[in-house]
Amino acid sequence: MLKKIALEKLGDLVSALMEKGPLYAPVKGEKAVDFQEITNPADVILDFYNTAMSPKFAFFPQSEDLIRYRLGKEATESEAVSLDAKPSVILGVRPCDAKSFEIMDRHFLGAGIIDPYWNDKREKTTIIGYAFDPSTAADPADFYNTLGISASDTAGSDIFMIRTDKHLLFKGITEKGDRLLKELSVLEAGSKTDEKTFEDKAKKGGEVKTRFMEIQDKAVAGKLVQVFNNKEFWEKATAACISCGACTFVCPTCYCFDISDETLFRDGVRKRFWDACMFTDFTLEASGHNPRPRIFQRYRQKVCHKYSYHVDKYGCISCVGCGRCTRSCPVNIDIYSIIESASKL
Amino acid sequence: MQNPYIPMPVEVTKIVTEVETNDIKTFRLNFVNKEDEENFKYLPGQFAELSILGKGESPIGIASSPTQPGYIEFTVQRAGTLVTGIVTTALHDLDVGARIGVRGPLGNSWPIEFLEGKNVVVVGGGFAFTTLRSLIHYMLHKDNRPRFGDISVVYGARTPGLLCYKEELAAWEKRKDIKMHVTVDKGDANWKGREGFVPTVCKEVGPSPENAVTVICGPPIMIRFTLPVFFELGFAKENILTSLEMRMKCGVGKCGRCNVGHKYVCKDGPVFSFAELDKLPRDF
Amino acid sequence: MTAMKKIEENLRKEAKRLLEGGEVSVVLAYGRGYDENHPMPFAARTVEDVDSLVFNEYCTFNLARYLPKYPPKTKIAVAVKAADSRAVVQLIQEEKVRREDLVILGIPVTGMKDQKTGEVIDNKTTCNMANPVLYDILLGDEIHGFKGGSPYDVLAELEGMDHDARMAFWKKEFEKCIRCFACRKACPMCYCDPCFMDASRPRWADKSPTPDGHLMYHLTRFYHLAGRCIDCGECSRACPVDIPLYLFHKKLAKECEDMFQQAAGMKIEDKPAMVNYGNQDSDEMLK
Repeated sequence: MLKKIALEKLGDLVSALMEKGPLYAPVKGEKAVDFQEITNPADVILDFYNTAMSPKFAFFPQSEDLIRYRLGKEATESEAVSLDAKPSVILGVRPCDAKSFEIMDRHFLGAGIIDPYWNDKREKTTIIGYAFDPSTAADPADFYNTLGISASDTAGSDIFMIRTDKHLLFKGITEKGDRLLKELSVLEAGSKTDEKTFEDKAKKGGEVKTRFMEIQDKAVAGKLVQVFNNKEFWEKATAACISCGACTFVCPTCYCFDISDETLFRDGVRKRFWDACMFTDFTLEASGHNPRPRIFQRYRQKVCHKYSYHVDKYGCISCVGCGRCTRSCPVNIDIYSIIESASKL
Repeated sequence: MQNPYIPMPVEVTKIVTEVETNDIKTFRLNFVNKEDEENFKYLPGQFAELSILGKGESPIGIASSPTQPGYIEFTVQRAGTLVTGIVTTALHDLDVGARIGVRGPLGNSWPIEFLEGKNVVVVGGGFAFTTLRSLIHYMLHKDNRPRFGDISVVYGARTPGLLCYKEELAAWEKRKDIKMHVTVDKGDANWKGREGFVPTVCKEVGPSPENAVTVICGPPIMIRFTLPVFFELGFAKENILTSLEMRMKCGVGKCGRCNVGHKYVCKDGPVFSFAELDKLPRDF
Repeated sequence: MTAMKKIEENLRKEAKRLLEGGEVSVVLAYGRGYDENHPMPFAARTVEDVDSLVFNEYCTFNLARYLPKYPPKTKIAVAVKAADSRAVVQLIQEEKVRREDLVILGIPVTGMKDQKTGEVIDNKTTCNMANPVLYDILLGDEIHGFKGGSPYDVLAELEGMDHDARMAFWKKEFEKCIRCFACRKACPMCYCDPCFMDASRPRWADKSPTPDGHLMYHLTRFYHLAGRCIDCGECSRACPVDIPLYLFHKKLAKECEDMFQQAAGMKIEDKPAMVNYGNQDSDEMLK
């Protein structure tokens, strides 16, 4: 199904989407653009390269309450936070980020135990993907081509959006997407010409070139196992690392979390929240023993987790080449370069 | 679907202080809801998350055996550095009657079917004896005993006062269907038993590798020195099992912190054979 | 040749000489990153490594941050710009680094640029000095007559606000915080182990990212750096969500300077303002 709307009517579309439930869309902050829950339709912008933070927060918020309780002298009353996500929409997800949801699904929904929190929000959310503008060069940090993703890839999106000079074109990719498109009466039906335009534009996405190297999931996974004990390589590659969590927190496929109880007087919450394998205390055991006390060991864990362990466990690399880790690294460590040099060893 | 992050309510019904340093206690827990008890089907070697609201959760090996119905037991060492140990400290402050939570059972177990028909050599050091105790109780149960060959146990602690489960050790000593070798690094005036380090005692006992499996739990240093003894005795790496310890949070393979290579210790472990560990990166 | 190119050339020359002669075992400087605008901190250990050293207007990193991790008696050459040299001085004052272990390669420079925005950072996020305060070898010509105003000029707007507006400003900024701790980890003065934020007994602030916890974290960190912050601006450049942390640090630095007539990391003989007591000290803060 193909639908369209004139560019100047974006506000109407946003209003219509807001009526359906919470809408997350790109908003310009002082410096960076980020997804935010929209309260004013005029805030939505479509002129942006990519958001500073990934859209994973929509299913995996940085902090999420699991149990709320009130501590008592005799007994503690507690209540598990119910799973009642509202049907929502994320508008303007770049193809690499849309792909990340599929990768995260394998972890949160696969492997035996279904994560109820991820599942609840994921099921009820419709993703409107948004092609990178083919007339804009890719950011030097990006390498989504390497992971087999093009600037107009529809994988992971329910609806895919492409901007033309005067219109926004929407194509339903999944049933969920088609359903939403049908419900949005502000949209016009697309003509045969529009369909042709969509296809042409989609093809143009292939012309956007990011950094690229030929990699094969299995081969790179095996290579990293071989390189694992090459301490000299890892120490050199990560010498500048300051062991902060910026790369993992901006990453669309990093899912590690911590669980902690937090109380204020008698009121308490057990919550889960993002954690980072780059932190010193990530693996610190109660005994005081830490299996990964050194920075190179932690960075190696991050690289191997994404490019090796994830392949073994879930059959795919857990990276979409969005370039955020590289862009946000305070010391410009670049995972692409590390994979590249590891492959050559 | 049961939410894997929400604990089941349990009541503390018995607390035993195991050692003279008072920092190891065994907690007996009874389920508040009958159906939770029925759903909590476990095998020796598995663990559970003990939850105290306001403090947090801590993964602890189950020290009781499924052959002891009606309750579950956990032996907990009070841990603590500046950055760790909140939950174990809070557990130690509990009294009988307190209500806490349990999530589990989690992880894999000692491979009971693999052990069946074989001679089992149980080697434990100090406080790490907990899931081995579970295994011994399980194997000694009258319905299960015929399924296993000879059972021998080497258990050591630094001093007599640091041995856990003293009454049970004494009871097992008296049985004919289990060979006990309890040892301490250094005895005291009242100690009439064996003195010596666990690896040395293993060497002296010298179990035959013929149709035998050894399960080893203890501090890293003990394991390091015990392993060569068993290799020398001729045990294959597939037949030497251990239980790994890693920092865990979710216990269900989601939170991403307890991995060794592509294995999550909380879900694919904690029990591994040394043959399996050989295939994993040295990251534990 | 531009001043920057000359610095790069001298950096390589000196690094090569120091490593070859065995005077130092490591040269902490800048190396190539994934493109020109994104160099990296780089530790050259061999003569071959020296070819990878670079210097350009994007080499903003404060390399003093890496000094405390080397065991004492490791001979280190470290490339420092003005603010970075103050960090080295401050670390020496705090006995985290020994002067005799260091060969300080001073870089006199202005016009350094923010990697994300390309903006010149001189008088905004950094201390607005051109020449290092301490060095053994100068890699360029000393800069004379550089004026860009006081490093505290950027505080005008914030100081003009009333209490409520200021509080609202910071609350809004801290709301963006994702607790990646890049600010703390990039800071040459944040070397506590464990940091109060990592301690759980007692736990000083929420471990999860809550607004209260953000306040507790940032305010405590700001105050812990009062009289110690050398105004390099690394915290702000490291922040992936662009919180202008430098403003708070500058404000405290300004207050400290007013109270104790001493700026952090200026003279090796100084004692850190907060561990020193003098009869003439201002008792302003006791009132």
